[in-house]
Amino acid sequence: MLLVPCPHCGPRNASDMSYGGEPHSRPDPNTTSPEEWRTYLYLRDNKSGWITENWYCSSGCRKHFKLERHTLTGELRNPPLPGNKTGGHK
Amino acid sequence: MGKHRTPARYSAAGLAWRGLRRKNWPRVWREPELKSAYDVVIIGGGIHGLATAYYLAANHGITNVAVVDKAYLGSGGSGRNTAIVRSNYLTPEGVAFYDRSLDLYNTMSTDLNINVMFSARGHMTLAHTDSALRTMNWRAEVNKLQSIDSSVIGPDEIKKLSPSLDTSPNTRYPILGALYHPPGGTIRHDAVVWGYARAADAHGVDLHQKTEVLDILCEGGDGPDGKGPGGKVTGVRTSRGDIHAPVVVNCTAGWASTIAAMAGVRLPITTHPLQAAVTEPVKTFLPTVIVSGSLHVYVSQTDRGELVFGASVDPVATYDMKGTLEFTEELAGHVLELMPGLSKMRLMRQWAGLCDMTPDYSPVMGPTPVDGFLVDVGWGTYGFKAGPVSGEQMAACVAHNATPELIAPFVLSRFTDGTLVGEKGAAAVGH
Amino acid sequence: MTTRLPVQPNEVIDRSKPLTFTWNGKKMRGFEGDTIVSAILANGEHVISRSMKYHRPRGVLTADFWDPNTSVQVGDEPNVRAAHRHLVSGMAVSAQNVWPSLKYDAKAASGLVGRFLTAGFYYKTFMKPAKMWPTYERVLARFAPGGKVDLDTPHGYHDKRYAHPDVVVAGGGPAGIAAAIEAARAGASVILVEHEHALGGHLRWGSNDDGDALAGLLAEAESAGVEILTDSTVTGRYEDNWLAIAQRNHPVAVERLIKARAKVLVVAPGLIERPYVFAGNDLPGVMTSGAVRRLITMYAIKPGTRAVVLTANESGDTAIDELEGAGIEVVKVIDARTGASVTKAIGSKSRVKAVTCSDDSIVDADLLVTATGWTAPTSLLNMSGDRPVYDPSVARFFADSPPDNVLTTGGIAGDGTRHELIAHGRSTGALAASRAVVARHRIQAATARAVAVDGSEPTYPDDTRTPLGRDPHPELFRSTSHGMVDFSEDISSKDIFGAAAEGFDSVELLKRFTTATMGPSQGKLETVNTVALLAEARGETISEVGTTVWRPPYAPIALGALAGRVFEPVRLSSIQPWHEANGSTPILAGQWVRPEHYGDPQQEVRNTRANVGITDVTPLGKLDLQGPDVAKLLSQLYTNKWMQLAVGSVRYGIMCAEDGVVLDDGVTGRLGDDHYLMTTTSSGAGGVWNWIENWLQTEHPEWQVHVTPVTTGLTSINVAGPRSRELMSRLVGDDIDLDPDAFRYMQVRTGTIAGVKDCVVWRIGFTGELSFEIHVPSGHGLHVWKTLLEQGESLGVAPFGLEAQRIMRLEKGHFIVGQDTDGLSKAPTTGMIGLLKLDKDDWAGKPEVTWALEGDYPRIVAIQPTDPSIVPEEACQILRDGTKEIVGRITSSRFSPTLDRAVCLGQVTAEFADPGTTLTVQLVNGERITARVMEHHAHFDPEGERLRG
Repeated sequence: MLLVPCPHCGPRNASDMSYGGEPHSRPDPNTTSPEEWRTYLYLRDNKSGWITENWYCSSGCRKHFKLERHTLTGELRNPPLPGNKTGGHK
Repeated sequence: MGKHRTPARYSAAGLAWRGLRRKNWPRVWREPELKSAYDVVIIGGGIHGLATAYYLAANHGITNVAVVDKAYLGSGGSGRNTAIVRSNYLTPEGVAFYDRSLDLYNTMSTDLNINVMFSARGHMTLAHTDSALRTMNWRAEVNKLQSIDSSVIGPDEIKKLSPSLDTSPNTRYPILGALYHPPGGTIRHDAVVWGYARAADAHGVDLHQKTEVLDILCEGGDGPDGKGPGGKVTGVRTSRGDIHAPVVVNCTAGWASTIAAMAGVRLPITTHPLQAAVTEPVKTFLPTVIVSGSLHVYVSQTDRGELVFGASVDPVATYDMKGTLEFTEELAGHVLELMPGLSKMRLMRQWAGLCDMTPDYSPVMGPTPVDGFLVDVGWGTYGFKAGPVSGEQMAACVAHNATPELIAPFVLSRFTDGTLVGEKGAAAVGH
Repeated sequence: MTTRLPVQPNEVIDRSKPLTFTWNGKKMRGFEGDTIVSAILANGEHVISRSMKYHRPRGVLTADFWDPNTSVQVGDEPNVRAAHRHLVSGMAVSAQNVWPSLKYDAKAASGLVGRFLTAGFYYKTFMKPAKMWPTYERVLARFAPGGKVDLDTPHGYHDKRYAHPDVVVAGGGPAGIAAAIEAARAGASVILVEHEHALGGHLRWGSNDDGDALAGLLAEAESAGVEILTDSTVTGRYEDNWLAIAQRNHPVAVERLIKARAKVLVVAPGLIERPYVFAGNDLPGVMTSGAVRRLITMYAIKPGTRAVVLTANESGDTAIDELEGAGIEVVKVIDARTGASVTKAIGSKSRVKAVTCSDDSIVDADLLVTATGWTAPTSLLNMSGDRPVYDPSVARFFADSPPDNVLTTGGIAGDGTRHELIAHGRSTGALAASRAVVARHRIQAATARAVAVDGSEPTYPDDTRTPLGRDPHPELFRSTSHGMVDFSEDISSKDIFGAAAEGFDSVELLKRFTTATMGPSQGKLETVNTVALLAEARGETISEVGTTVWRPPYAPIALGALAGRVFEPVRLSSIQPWHEANGSTPILAGQWVRPEHYGDPQQEVRNTRANVGITDVTPLGKLDLQGPDVAKLLSQLYTNKWMQLAVGSVRYGIMCAEDGVVLDDGVTGRLGDDHYLMTTTSSGAGGVWNWIENWLQTEHPEWQVHVTPVTTGLTSINVAGPRSRELMSRLVGDDIDLDPDAFRYMQVRTGTIAGVKDCVVWRIGFTGELSFEIHVPSGHGLHVWKTLLEQGESLGVAPFGLEAQRIMRLEKGHFIVGQDTDGLSKAPTTGMIGLLKLDKDDWAGKPEVTWALEGDYPRIVAIQPTDPSIVPEEACQILRDGTKEIVGRITSSRFSPTLDRAVCLGQVTAEFADPGTTLTVQLVNGERITARVMEHHAHFDPEGERLRG
C-alpha cells in the first residue's frame, strides 16, 4: 500500500486517505456553456506518467492536498501542495 | 483481398487421430508481415478488437484488416477478468445489448469451432439491505419486460441453490434475497480470445502481436499535427513501422485515453485497477456465481476447483497493476462472511487488470470528432461480457459508416449532450 | 517395513516422543519433528498422491514446502503440504486426488489415453452437441484436484499484527541470519522470517561444520535481539515495503497475518532446486538431491536402496556421500558437467526400477537423484517492480535493479562458501540498518506534528558491498527425452512443444494455454523449465523468450488469516438497548441498527396521528457549523437561499452534485449569529462532510467556517402527533417557550429538556404532524427518551419505528434521496421547483439544473392505485398502456392506515406527470393495474394544517 505524505500528518497509509483525482478549474457557472461545463464534469486527461492529483486526509486531519505521482510506477515526487477543486460529479 | 484459409478443424475425432499419429496441431494463426496499408487498423488484440476484426471479415467481407497489440493476444483485460457473463442489467438499452452478447456466447463454441466452456450455471446477486433488495427488484422487473430470465429469490431458495452460503438472519450482512439469473455463468476467457483470433486469421485478418502503436496519424484537425476535432485519420505509427489506414478503431482497455490522445480526442475515462485472486483447488462445491455488491465481492468456482474472486475497482486511478494486500484482506473477510466454512482454504495468486471507468458505468462506442477514428472503450468492469456484441456492432459501424441502434445510447457525444445512460441509476459492483 | 535410519547427528526428529496417526485409515507411527511425509515414508509407503490429469502415482520429489504432489487432507483441512507440515499426534491424514483409493485409482485409466489429453485438449472437443457441455462439465469437474472443504469448518481464531520494523529479512539461511544480526547490532529493529520450521537453510542438512556454524549464528541472533519468526513466510511485498507475513507457528492464532511497514527489506530466500525433465521423471523414487539430503540428514529416512545420481553441482556430489553413509548403494554416478545424462526412468507400477542413461546403459535402481541446477525464487523482487535477468553462465535469474529499500543476499544474490555468504549477509545487514536510519529521518521530517528531527538528514549510504561471485553452472533443463515439466498440472515437455508449434509461443500465451506454472506451487519448480523449453522450441535464448511475472502471495495463505477478526462494527444510538429490551425488531439501515417496529407499525402510525408518538432518529447526519461565513457556504451547497435565515429559524434544502443530480437533503437551523446545525440523510452524513470540506478548502479557502460532525454526539428524538406540544410542555425548562406564536413551525430553540441543558429543538414535521425534533447530548439520550414515555403515558404516547416513519413520510409525500431519486435524478425531478433559485449567483450544480429545467425531465409524482387495496411492490414498472415501453416506476409504496388505501411515489416521464393521468403499473406477478397521478405529493393533509398547528 502506497504511503501518502499528508502535509500535516506525515506519510500515512493510502487507506487513511480519499482519492480526489485530477484537479480542475471550475468554469463560471453563470457564463459557462454546456460543452465547457461538461468538459469540467466528465472529460479527463487520465495520463499514464507524471500527474498532479488531489488527495484528502479523510481519516486523519481532513486536509485536501495535491501530489505529483507517476501513474505507471506509483512513485511520488515533490512535497504536497494545497488542494484544488476536484470538481466533477462528487 | 480474401486469402481465406481453412484452419484444422477441432473435434474429438481430430484429437484421437492426432493422438494416435502423435501429430501436433498446425499453427492456430499466422505470423504475417506488417503491410504498409490496411483498410482498417484495430488497436488492441483483446476480445473486443479480435471480435471486431472477425465480424468485419465474416459479416461484411472486409478482410484487409490489421489487429495490432503491443503485447500478446488477450494480454489485457481479456485474460485478467473473472469470466462472468450475464444480461440482467438495469436499463432496457443495457439489457438488449448484453442479451445479444449472451446469445453470441451461447452459440460460440459451434460458431467458432472451439470449446469456450460456457457454463450457464446461474448468477446470483445478493442483497444485504432493503435498499439493495429494492434495486434487485427494479432490475428484475426491467429484465422481465425484456424477457430475460431474472427474478428475486429469498434466503431459502438461495440456500438450496448454494448450500455453502450462510443465510442465517443474524450475520453482520444478512442475506435478505438475491437477484437470480439462471442464464448467467462463466466462460473460459482465453478460449474466446483464441477462438476469435483463429477465426479472424482464417478470414485473412492480419494479427500483429508485439506491435505497439506510437502515434495516430491525422490531417485537417484543429490541434497540432492535424489531430483533433474536424480532422481525419490517415494511419498509425507502430513500433514496427507506419501503417496507412482510413479507419482506425481504438479497442483498448487501460490505454484508451492514451491512444485517444494520439488522435487529439479526450475521453470521459479514468483508469482504475480491478483486482482478482484465486485459491488452491478443492473439490467443487459452489454451483453458481455469487456476487455481493455491498461486500464488493464476486466468486465462482472453476471446473479445476479453484475459487476465483473479484472485487470492485480500486479507488485510486492508476496504471500500476501491482495489487494490494488490503484487497486480499477485505476479500477474505467478506468471503468468510458469506461462506464461513472456507477459513482453511488458501489464496494462491492475486493479480490486477485495468478498467476504464466512465461516469455512467457504460461504454463509449462509435464515432469521435475525428473522422475515421472510432472507439470501443470505457468498458469498466463489464467488457468481457460484451465482447461478442461489441465486435459485431463495431464491425457494422465501420462497414456501414453509421452508428447501429444497439450502440447508439453509448456514443461519445452523450457527454456533451448530457444524455447519460441510466446504469448509473443503481451503480454497484456490476459483475 | 520401516525405512527409518539409525540416529543421524543432525536429525530433527525426537525419538523419545513417538506419535500415532492414520494414513488413509491405516494406523502409523512417527516421531515429533517428523513431517507428515517423512512419517509416511518411515512406515514404508512412498506413493503420496495421484497426479491431476493422468492419475499417475506420485511420491516425494523435493521433500520440502514446494513438493508438488504431497498435498493431503488432514481432517477438515484440504491441501495440507505434507512435506512441510509437522506431524501431530492423532492426525487423520488421507490422500486427496484418488478414487476409490490411492492404490487402485480407477481414473488412472485416463493415463492410458494420455496421448489424447494434450495440453488444451478440452478446447478442441465437447463442442457438439452444445447442450451436452454441462454434462461433460460435470464429469470434468470430478477430476478437480485438491482436497475437500468441510462447510462446517469454524472460522478459527485469527489475530492480526501491525509492525513497524526497520528491517525485515525474508529468509533465515546463513546470509539472512547474518544480515539480521548485523542490522540489529547497528541498532535497527529487525524481524527475521524463515519459511521452514527452523533457521539455517541449507546448513540444516549440511556438514557437522555447517551445524556448528549455524549454532553460532543462532546464538548471535538471539543476543543481538533479532525477532525470529519460523514457519512463517513473507508472502507479499507491496508498495513502499508494505509486507505481508504469514505466521504459521503462533501459539494461539491458527495462522496470523503480520502487516509490516519495513524501512528496508532484505530478500534472502535461498535457492530452489530445479527438477530435470526426462521420461519418467515423475515416478516415485525420482528425487532432487536436496530431497534425499533432507530425508537422510534431518528425518533419518532411507529413501531407497540402489541409487543412480545425476549431478552437475556440489549438492549432488555431497548427496552421493550421504546416500552411501545411509547404506544406500550408489550404483552409478552420472556427471552432467561432462554432458552425460539420464534419458529415462523405467518404472514398475509405482516406483522407479531402472534408469536408462545417455550412454544407453540400463541400470537397475529404485532411486534416481538429480542435481541439475537452481531456481532463484525472485517473487519478492518481482513484487518490488524488479524484472530479474537471466545469466546463462550460471543458469539462473538475478535481480536487475530493485528499489533502494530492497536488498538481496544469499543464494539469490550469488554463490559462495559458507563464510562468503555470511560475510555478504553481514554487510547487507549493515547497509540495511544505515538506510533505515535515513528512512526514519525522512518520515519524521515529513510529519509536521512530529517531534523535530535531530540534525540534518544523514547521507544516503551507497551500496559498497563486495558482491558474491557466480559459480558457473551448466544449463540443464531437459534430457533428450520428454518428461513432466509441471508436476501439479501434469504438463509435459511434449505439451510445451506442441503448444508452441500451435502458435502459443509467447511465455504468457503458453502458460495460459497449457496451464504450466498455474498450479499450487505457482511456478517455483516449473517456471524456468517452462521458459527454457519454450526457448528450445523457438530456437531462441531464455533472455529472448523472457519470463512470467511472479505474483503474490509467495506461498499460499489461509483465507482465515487474511480475514482476521472481521472488524466492521455497526452503529447504535444511545437508546438502542432500550428498543431491543422493549420488543423492537431490529433492522440494518446503512451502518446503523435501528428499530423497524415494536410489533405493529400500522398501529404506531394510527397512535401518532391520534395521540403522540416518539421515534429515535439519531442516525440523521448532523454537522455543527460555526464561523462568520456559514451562510455563504450554505448558499453554495443548497439550491435555495440562506443569506437571510434569521437566528432561531430552520430551513429545508436540497444539495446537488456539480452534475445537477440530487446529492442530499435536510434541515439546517441557525442557532446563533455564527452557529448553525445542519442535518443530512443518514447515509449521506459522511459524504456531505467531505463535500463541505472540499468546497471550503479548495474553492473558497477564504471562507471562515469550522465543521464538526456531531451525528453520534447528539441523540435525536422526534416527538410527533397532535398531543406532542402537550407532552413537550411537561419536559421543557423555562428557557423554551412552546407557545405556538413564540415557537412557530420551522423554528429552532436551544434549552433544557427533562433537566438536560443545551438541547436543540426544532419544529419540523416529516410525519405531517405537529412535531418537535430534539437533539440531546448522547449521554442523556436514554434519560430523555424514558422521561418522554413516563410523562406522556396519560397522553397515549408510544414509540414508533422506522417502518411507521416511512409510512407517514409517504403519506405526506416526502421523497427520500436515493430511493425516490436515483443516480441520474437532477434536482427538478423532485418537483421542488420553488427551491431552485436560478437568480442566486452560484451554487453547486446550478448550470446543469438550469439546463434540465429547459427540457423534459422525469418527475416524482404521488400515485394512488385505482383499487385501494392493491399495494404495488416498490420497483414495479410503469408502462405505456398496451406496450412494454417503460415510462416510469414505483419508487415508494405502502398501505396507509390513515387513508385506508395504498399510497405511492413514483418517477414518471414528463408525458405522464400531469395530475389525473391514468398510469398502467405492472405488478411483480405480471398483472397490470391502473393508478392515478395525484395533484399533490402529499396524500394526506396537503395544505399542512396539522404540522403548522
